Amino acid sequence: MRNGNTPTKGIFAREILALVNPIEAVPPELTVAEVAELFLNPAYAKVLSLPVVESGRPIGVISRYRFMGMYLKQYARELHGKRAIRNYINEHPLLVELDQPLAEAALYVAQNMQFPLTEDFIITRRGKYLGIGFVMDLLKAMEARMRANTDELNNAYSRLKSSQLALVQSEKMASLGQMVAGVAHEINTPLGYVQNNVAIGQDLFMQVRVVIAGYEALVDNLLNGQASDDQIAEQIQQISEMRADFNAQEMLGEMQGLMTDSLYGIGQISELVMNLKNFSRMDAAASDTVNLNDCIESALNIGRNVLKNKVEVVKELADLPKFTCSPSQLNQVFLNLFTNAAQAMEETGRLHIRTWHADEALHISVADNGKGISPENLTRIFDPFFTTKPVGEGTGLGLAISQQIIQQHGGEIQVESRIGEGTTFHIRLPVAAVERQEPLAMTV
Amino acid sequence: MSKPTLLLIDDEERILRSLRMLFFMSYNVRMTTDPYEAIRILREEKVHVVISDQRMPVMQGSELLRIARETSPASMRILLTGYSDLNASIASVNEGEVFRYLLKPWSVEDVKSVVAEAAAIAEASFAVQSVFAEHKAVENIRPRVLIMDHEEATVNTVREILGDRCELVWAHNAQLAMEELAKQDVSVVISDLMLGDTNVAYILKTIKQLNPQTQCIVVTSFNDTSRLIELINQAQISRYLPKPVSKNILARNLESMLERFHALRNQPAMQKRQTVAPISNHQERLQSGNFLGMINRLRARIAV
Ligand SMILES: Nc1ncnc2c1ncn2[C@@H]1O[C@H](COP(=O)(O)OP(=O)(O)O)[C@@H](O)[C@H]1O
Ligand SMILES: [Mg+2]
Repeated sequence: MRNGNTPTKGIFAREILALVNPIEAVPPELTVAEVAELFLNPAYAKVLSLPVVESGRPIGVISRYRFMGMYLKQYARELHGKRAIRNYINEHPLLVELDQPLAEAALYVAQNMQFPLTEDFIITRRGKYLGIGFVMDLLKAMEARMRANTDELNNAYSRLKSSQLALVQSEKMASLGQMVAGVAHEINTPLGYVQNNVAIGQDLFMQVRVVIAGYEALVDNLLNGQASDDQIAEQIQQISEMRADFNAQEMLGEMQGLMTDSLYGIGQISELVMNLKNFSRMDAAASDTVNLNDCIESALNIGRNVLKNKVEVVKELADLPKFTCSPSQLNQVFLNLFTNAAQAMEETGRLHIRTWHADEALHISVADNGKGISPENLTRIFDPFFTTKPVGEGTGLGLAISQQIIQQHGGEIQVESRIGEGTTFHIRLPVAAVERQEPLAMTV
Repeated sequence: MSKPTLLLIDDEERILRSLRMLFFMSYNVRMTTDPYEAIRILREEKVHVVISDQRMPVMQGSELLRIARETSPASMRILLTGYSDLNASIASVNEGEVFRYLLKPWSVEDVKSVVAEAAAIAEASFAVQSVFAEHKAVENIRPRVLIMDHEEATVNTVREILGDRCELVWAHNAQLAMEELAKQDVSVVISDLMLGDTNVAYILKTIKQLNPQTQCIVVTSFNDTSRLIELINQAQISRYLPKPVSKNILARNLESMLERFHALRNQPAMQKRQTVAPISNHQERLQSGNFLGMINRLRARIAV
């Protein structure tokens, strides 16, 4: 068939082909009167213009509009009726090649058509007349195509969105996983001594009860005067034996210390549980008005175990105005920045967190003195899946997601780094919270 | 008789105070939050049982226990940790050679009985320690090494390492492994955790009951911390090497386990140091019981 046509052109050709109305062309020699007859033919009712073709090639069109304009004049029929139509045509018809892309054809027609719309366009195959096309059909085809595109786009968009959701979730799970290790340790330690202390207390309680029972029996006997001296001597003997291997005073004193420890431990556990709860509750609130400093503290608390014994945290948190945001998402951003910083430190290091309010924006800078990022990596750290960490430690999603979260809050995140010296991330969040058209998609 | 000495190390003082209260009646309790102080105490005093936390600011517990092993080999080592991560667990086997790997929060009764058991074993070790140290192991029997692995590669590596110094036996399924163990004593077992689709943990957990001298090296690609902790406590495996294992590392560990096997033959009092805890998993307990039953029947038949 269409020799030399590329397959894509083939596809375009089919689009134009669907528009072809293969009506019989008018030879230039046909007289005006004959053409007038043609226009009256019901078969051509829809046709705005007739193509005029000479030896296969279109040389012009004659439109119903032009025709009528001419015929309305007096004696027109007598004056022009016998003359060839050739003299009356528009010699610059709209020409569309069969294998032209639909969009290109539509653009060409739209730019060159006249108002009011008086002519159809001519479709040719390699210059030879094929048929005429109705402009309306072309526009409809174009519209259908746009709609299909939009549907496809929408589908792609929602697919993307859901896979993005999965990504966010997996990054969150990965960082949560690392955290759970820490939190488990943090909870199990106080739980260990609290439980042990309670068990010891219970034991001690039993022993004390026995001792008290001994004393009470002795006191009873002394008071009612019924008991013999021997009995009383024996009881005193028993009690002093008990006292010898169980020093109640000392034990109770120790126990008091353990009780204080236990209360402290329970406080620690509650605090941890509350932190975890806050962290997840904030997840539920897609948007809330909070103090960003609290988000930072919350993320520090959650990440405490990653940082503990390794990172000295220096905070310079300025008074900040309330800020409307998705706290869970910002928590995730901060937690990721803190974890990254800790992971960039060989042994120990310092994390410097600053917040301030300037130029109608909140600013957060997170600086570490870790190993730094090389210039070639620096351009890639925000790319999804870019990681320099071993499997299981890095997902490479942390910064990609962080950047997205910050951008969705109308802000920006920037990085500066020097190998061997450290890395600073700077986040700017405009306070005049930009109205977001849709709720943040990434609340998990 | 004086009380045995217990040395407690944890960066949380409240843990120390709590444990001291639990033990001070029956033990001489020494405690510190500083691992270096602990090392000093180990050098200068006779310590029966060391109980250490894993995560500490200046030193990991497994590292402290490794030093304890060198400083005071007769002391029994116990790890008491709030969170089990795989690396810590592996280090506690390979380097710390711990008697027990315990988790916080602990059961009071369990901890008490483990410490009592450990203290008694340590006392016996102190008694023979001098003899033990001087005694150069005499290799008077040809060691028998059992490989429980479905990959032939492992067998080939072991063969390259040992040549014909040892009798090599390969069991590529659980049934064969049990038969080989029943037939004759084994010096060292090199085992994966899965043979085909059989989890062979129950076999490993039974080995010490067949012969307390047998040393167990687990070579596996499994990364399951809680299973490893069970194998430490209930099988007293001597080494845990992640697959793929380099020939050098396997060789080094194999040599030291063969040596230990001979040492234990010559010094049975030391065997107690690898006493296992009861099997906790019900299914495995049944499997182990069946295995032991089978062996007893077999041995009775041979004896007839
Ligand atoms: N503070 C930092 N110091 C040094 N390198 C960093 C720092 N933060 C991020 N990076 C680099 O950027 C990479 C991507 O970070 P991220 O997107 O959070 O993924 P992940 O932490 O899972 O690797 C990291 O692997 C690391 O190489
Ligand atoms: Mg990260």
